[in-house]
Amino acid sequence: MITSGWSELLAEVTAVPGVRGALVVSADDGLVVHEAAMDGLPTADVAAFAAAVIQRALRLADATALGAARHLHLAARDGGLFLAAGPGPLWLVAVTEPAVETGRLRLLLGDLASALG
Amino acid sequence: MSDPTTTPDPRSHRLAFLDLAERLRQRGQLEAAVTVALEGLARHPALPDAHDLVARIRVDQGRDDDARAAWTAVLDLEPEHPGALKGLAYLAFRRHDFDEAERRLETARRTAPRDVTILAALDRVRAARPMQATSVRLDDPAQGLVLADADGLLVAGGLGPELPTGDAAAAMAAGLAREAQRTARFLALGEWRHVVVEGQGGRCVVTPVQGTATLLVRRSAGTPIGRLVADAQRGVEAAARWLEGAS
Repeated sequence: MITSGWSELLAEVTAVPGVRGALVVSADDGLVVHEAAMDGLPTADVAAFAAAVIQRALRLADATALGAARHLHLAARDGGLFLAAGPGPLWLVAVTEPAVETGRLRLLLGDLASALG
Repeated sequence: MSDPTTTPDPRSHRLAFLDLAERLRQRGQLEAAVTVALEGLARHPALPDAHDLVARIRVDQGRDDDARAAWTAVLDLEPEHPGALKGLAYLAFRRHDFDEAERRLETARRTAPRDVTILAALDRVRAARPMQATSVRLDDPAQGLVLADADGLLVAGGLGPELPTGDAAAAMAAGLAREAQRTARFLALGEWRHVVVEGQGGRCVVTPVQGTATLLVRRSAGTPIGRLVADAQRGVEAAARWLEGAS
């Protein structure tokens, strides 16, 4: 796994207005692989919950014939999680405020997640 | 003993009538083409390409009902025959049934993902589809709406034709809803509103209904995300009305 350059990659994500933090997680075990978090963001918790959501979403994708899930977005009143599949078990995750630029972030995460390999 | 170099190959004979009928069709000699094709089909009734050719000639003749019957016969023999799926999509498109056209082409795309003619046809169908809001009906299993109760049991709806039944989808949607609720609570994100899941073969959104039930909306991969979420919002209103009526 080549991790050089991941900090720059995560910095691109956190530069988007409304992004509180970004991290690379392993969906297999719910652990943080790399992070660029803002103050006060519990990245270990984010990784664990993100992995749980990913696992559930993968099962749903299978049950609804979506093919392999590549993008997820959990939207909530006070913020959300954007998740994009990278190689293997790796997913790129962004934690956001409610006022984030949803369309821009979705496209950016998709592009950057493929660069995790 | 026959000479293998001179004995007619049944397969080449079969292809010969297909080639001849196709050439006649391309020259516009449609009566001759259909005669050759039907004679060949009588000898090879289990040959999907023969039915496909008859269907294409029938379309050229403007006999859509006969074409539809021939392409349906192809799918009986080969359920994922791309030519038949494209043909039936074309007929649906001509009568402005954009839902059926898109469903047929999506199935064809799964079978032949690199066929650019299918992708182009999908683009044409989506571009032609009226953007007005369509009705949301939970009692129609073809609408791609699944309503699940708190236990993950299917209450109403379905994923649509040629897709899995709604039971597993209901169970998995309710499971994802529980996880989304838990995640939003522990990460202080506030009340969760929806989860969008995008795959190569389609997109869906899961959203809560009246606190305990869950609505799943499934659409094709080309459906804009904003439209998917808008469909879900209208679906939630319909589901709430449906649950109130059912109680």
